[in-house]
This record gives sequence, C-alpha cells and structure tokens, in this order.
Amino acid sequence: MAPGLWSDRISSLAETLRSRQMKSGGWAYFDSVQESLEATCLAELALAPEKHANSSVAIRFLLKAQLSDGGWPAFLGDSDGSWTTALALCTLNATGDFAVARDKGFRWVYAERGREGHWFWRWKFKTADLNVRFDPDKYGWPWVSGSASWVIPTAFSVIALKQFTACNRSEAPEKRIRLGVEMLLDRACVDGGWNSGNSVVYGVPLRAHFEATAIALLALQDERRSELIQRSLAWLKKEVARVDSVSSLAWCILSLFVYQESVEALKNRLATIMGDGRDIRNNATLATGLLALKCGEMIHPFVVLR
Amino acid sequence: MKLDRRRFLGSSVGVAATVGITAEWVWPKHSVSYRRPRSAVAVLNVDEYSEKVEALLLDGLRLFRLKVLGRSILLKPNLVEDLPGPVNTSAILVGAAARSFLRLGAARVVIGEGPGHQRDTELVVQSAGLKPHLSERQIEFVDLNRDELRKVKLKANYSGLGELWLPRSVLDADFVVSMPKVKTHHWAGVTLSLKNMFGIVPGMKYGWPKNLLHWSGIHESILDICATVPIHFVIADGITAMEGNGPLQGSARQLGKIVLADDPVAADATCSRLMGFNPLRVRHLSEGCHFLGNLREDRIRMLAEGVGAPTRPFSVLPEFRYLFAAKS
Repeated sequence: MAPGLWSDRISSLAETLRSRQMKSGGWAYFDSVQESLEATCLAELALAPEKHANSSVAIRFLLKAQLSDGGWPAFLGDSDGSWTTALALCTLNATGDFAVARDKGFRWVYAERGREGHWFWRWKFKTADLNVRFDPDKYGWPWVSGSASWVIPTAFSVIALKQFTACNRSEAPEKRIRLGVEMLLDRACVDGGWNSGNSVVYGVPLRAHFEATAIALLALQDERRSELIQRSLAWLKKEVARVDSVSSLAWCILSLFVYQESVEALKNRLATIMGDGRDIRNNATLATGLLALKCGEMIHPFVVLR
Repeated sequence: MKLDRRRFLGSSVGVAATVGITAEWVWPKHSVSYRRPRSAVAVLNVDEYSEKVEALLLDGLRLFRLKVLGRSILLKPNLVEDLPGPVNTSAILVGAAARSFLRLGAARVVIGEGPGHQRDTELVVQSAGLKPHLSERQIEFVDLNRDELRKVKLKANYSGLGELWLPRSVLDADFVVSMPKVKTHHWAGVTLSLKNMFGIVPGMKYGWPKNLLHWSGIHESILDICATVPIHFVIADGITAMEGNGPLQGSARQLGKIVLADDPVAADATCSRLMGFNPLRVRHLSEGCHFLGNLREDRIRMLAEGVGAPTRPFSVLPEFRYLFAAKS
C-alpha cells in the first residue's frame, strides 16, 4: 500500500469509529450500553482534529462524567476515580480549553499515588517483602486507588502532568513528575522495555510488553536519552517486527514517531491489518489504530513540549 | 478479686477465642454453600495435544451426564501472556471443549478471559493459537477485561472487598466451566480452577495486574470470587503442566492428564494430589472445602481412573515446600 492511500483508509476508519459513538457522546469498548472512559478519550483524540472541540459531544460527555473530586471513573456508572483520569486530562489538554475541569483533574492526578507512597509499605517492601526487585522509594500511580504503582498508569499520569504544567510548572508538580519518571526508570526490564510493573521476580528477569514499553517511552520522550532509554527504544524497534495485533502495533508507532524513528512501513502494515475497521470490535483499539495512522498528519496527542 | 498477670493473660486469651468463635457464628464468612455429599472427578490420560483430545474429552464429559441442553456455556481458560512454554491453557483443549459442549446440546459457547498481565488481549488470543477455534458460528470470544460490568455484592467476606464489578458475560452465563492450566504459583502455591477465576475480574476497573486482589489477600479474594460466581464444571489442562517458579517463569512438566470435575474444590484437590501436594496445605482449598466443594478423597467419586502417586512431586520455590505433604 502506497502512503497516498492512507487518507482513504483513515476516512473509512474514522467513519466506522464515528458510527459507534453512543447518544451520550461516549464510546463503549464493545457493543454495550456502558461508556468506557478509555475508549471515549482515545476516540475523541482520534476524531477531534476534524471538528471544533467545543462542539464535540464527546467533550461534553467527558465533562459530565468527571467526578466531584476531579477524577474520572474507568466507565460510566462507577463512582471511583481511576487511571483513566490521566487519559481524560490528556484529552482535555489537547483542546487547550476547559480550564476548571482540567485543573480539578490535575489536582486529582497530583494527589494520587501508589500504595508504596505510604511509609509503612515502603518499609515492608524494603525489609520483609523482597521477592520483587524494585526501589519502593520511587513510586508512581496505581490503576485503582489502594494498590501499588504500575507502569502504564504512571506513564499516562506523567504525560498528563507534563502537558498540563508545560507552560508554568511549579516545584511541587515537578517533584511529583520526577518521582514518577524515576519509578519508570527503576522498573525497566533488564533487556530494555517495560513489563506491567516489575522487572525481576524471584531472581528471574521478566520480558518487556509492547504497550507498556511504548507508553513508558512516550512519558520519557523529553528526558535525557540515557542508556536505559536507548536500550528500551532499541528493544521496541527490533521487536515491533513481530507484532501483528492492532493495539500493540499502534502504540509502538505512536511511540517511535515521537523519537523521530521512521514509521512509514509500520503504518502500512497497520493499515493492512486494520482494513476498514469493521472487524475491530474494540473501539479503544480502533481509535488507537486511527491515531497511529494519523501520526504526522495531526498534533500528536501524547507529545510533551520541552 | 486480685488479678495477677497470668490470670489476666489467660482470661484475655479465653475472651478473644470466645469472641472469635461467636463472631464466626454470628457473622459467618460466607452466605452460600455449594458443597454436596459427594463430587465426581475423572482423570483422563492424554499424552499430547492432538486431534484425539476432542474425542477423549467428549467421552469424558458424557460420564458426568451434564445438563447443558439449550444452555449458554462460559468457558474460562487461563490465558495470561504471550509467552512460550506451558503458560496458557492449550487452545486445542479449549477448542475441543467448546465443540464438545455444542455437541452435547449447548445453545452457545462463550470463551471468556481477562488476561491478568498483558493488556493487549488480541495479542494473547493470537499467540495462544485460539483464533482458528473461534470461526464456528456458535463460539464467541469475550474480553472480560472490557466487558459491560455490573456491581455485585460478594457472597463471602474473606477479603473485606464487599463488592466487585464483574462482567455481564460471566453473570449471564448458565453454566461456568473453569479451564485452568495446572501450574505452581509464586504467590498462591498453585493456580488451578479456583485461582483461574481471577481472570473474570475486569482489568479496565482493577488494572493489569488485578493488584487490588493481591492487596486484599490472594486466597481471600479467590474464596470471595468463587462464592459469588459458582464454577459448575472444571476441565483442567494437565497434559503439559508447569512446575517451579510458576505461573509464568516455571518449567514444563509432562503430567499427561486432563482432570474433569463437577466440583472445583474436588478438581483442585485432585490436581494438587497429582502434583504431589497436600491440598489441605493450600489455604483457599482448606477453607474452600467448608462451602465451595469437597476436598476429602472419601467424598470424591472417581469416574475414570484414580489419582495414583506422582512419580516425582512438582518442584516449587523454597517458600512453598510446606505444600509437600504426608497424605491429606
């Protein structure tokens, strides 16, 4: 497939995604009545450049779905803030508007922390619970309050905070971002890349995951290109050749693009796998694929300005 | 009356024990019991994953006279990661089970899983080799990490979680079949049909991994989940099992068995015995046998051959040597 054919493919994929939007303005993961915040944020990011953000019913849905404490739930109907708050903040960051909602979301993300954030658990992990190799002083964000820090929610939170404070970052958010970055660097796999959160368990090194590696690298895009980051990038570039699933391949493209790596061939492969998108039932996957194909044609939604 | 230290300590212990027993009686930890007078188990000898598995499995299932006519079946395999080695339940066995239930008259079969570590479910399904088995009209795959959710009050209270959001596909199923891979587990000792139900807990709410369950206690969470979503049948993949540092980094162990059971505790107790472990030393089994099913051998009717003694017990991490046991 020549690059010139992308626009046709992009419009048919966008049409498929748009046709699955619910009356509320949100998207479910699959064909259900329950809106998913992840699917909605990714779909809005993928479709937003084609229309004015203020008029977006998806944005209105997001604003309505925000909880009173500033967080966003993983799905509509839940009353707990979750990891999707960072994703919602990135989505609103892309509009450059809605200051009040973004500020509340920022405060929620800033205050949230993995359970190692409490001295007692740090002490336990340092003295009694030694089967997983990590530094508990370096903690990030959990998927859900009350559990430990993991790579993907930490990476999204770091991106959201970096974007939100890009123009005016005070000491406190800078410290929180540094801690999250240090956590990511601490949890990297021995051969580069990231697993879901641990690198060595019972003395055995774990293998990196594509999505976790790609999203962690997105969070580290403006950091000094340390040997660890280079090694992780090299791992991703090498291993992406064997990826055939839409979601993993799309995240790899989104990540490699911000590191100025060539993604043309990967986009061709992704476009071929995706077809017209009708067989991709998961709307979050469809939206991520669309975002990856649009790399270079729109402002990257997870870009962090230095 | 003068209260000396010894009397004070003795009285305190007595009061604590009385309060504990009373509390257990007044507020029992589970509100359901699925335990029957006797359970049935069949251990099938199968040397390898081949076309022969389906016929053997169908014959094995017929021994149980299952009432599945016109019903909706949920097969819950153990698909964890896109890793080499015996990490996931064999796709050959899962496909064979799906077709067997359709041949026994089931209206539809849903294969449902929410991988615990890998967020890209499509990647896991592809690498596990499951895709070719999903081409039949009445066999569908559901990503339980992203299914529609309903809030459910838990029917046991070991973990203190109280309630969980669980997938509609699981709650709506008429007949739930747990299909674990027989493996050792570096946090729980073993991962069998009961631990396999961690996979119904949705990642979109609880994350990858479902770490909240670990913080609430693995054994405790297993008991609460399995009290709330009863397992109607078990097909355990012990053809090539895993020993050592399971469930991901262990070594392959050729066991050559498929374990079928109409009771998850009986299934897991039987698998534990095949692994050379005392099932009473697996905490969720020693507690689960009070209400989730039968553990004792005299309450388990063997429909095919008996368990027999393993030639060599499964290897475990040093922390789990207590699992090796004299007879349960």
